[in-house]
Amino acid sequence: MSKRRINNNIRTLRFFNSEMTQQQLAEKVGVTRQTIIAMEQDKYSPSLELAFRIALAFNVPLDQVFSYELEEEVK
Amino acid sequence: MSFQEKNITVTLVNFSLILGFYLIRLLQMIQNGSFNAANVFRLWAIIIVAAIVVTIAATILTHLVSAIIQAIQTQAEPVIEDIADERDKFIDLKGTKVTYFVSSIGSFLAMLTFAFGQPPLIMFTLLVFFGVVAQIVGDIARLSFYRRGF
Repeated sequence: MSKRRINNNIRTLRFFNSEMTQQQLAEKVGVTRQTIIAMEQDKYSPSLELAFRIALAFNVPLDQVFSYELEEEVK
Repeated sequence: MSFQEKNITVTLVNFSLILGFYLIRLLQMIQNGSFNAANVFRLWAIIIVAAIVVTIAATILTHLVSAIIQAIQTQAEPVIEDIADERDKFIDLKGTKVTYFVSSIGSFLAMLTFAFGQPPLIMFTLLVFFGVVAQIVGDIARLSFYRRGF
């Protein structure tokens, strides 16, 4: 079996959006700042709905925010 | 540390104290020879009432202390982020699953003692014990999910 991993560019996108703060993004997408922190640290994979809301907040397609990869093969 | 984490920590400490009280009272009953149905069921009631009251009081206390600390730190009107978003709800569900799992194992073990000829009082005592332990383990799991991620 393979281990899945969802990566994101939220930190970079915040930087290119006038250094948007985690709090500002959190308020825009309707979650707590802790959830944004957890996502940036790859400790939480958001729901599809939240992923779309984040993409909309940055005004970019979903695949520019999130990417999916198979991390390793587990035997 | 988020408000949810603080709340879970306070509940965890409270339930640990309740468990300590329960075990000490049981030990005292066994030593005094007063381990009977009336006393055990009274202790049951005390534990359940304490758990409900303590949970409500802990939430209020966490709100108050968080607000006071924030007001001192920021010198402004405190804003407590006590909304639960999808991650909080997901962690809560995962913690509840752990609680139910431990509770189920505990109930099974408690009933096993009855099936193997122990008095029903032992079974009821163990049911409460595992109920409180399950809550504690569930809270530890929740805190671990907040810290470690998932």
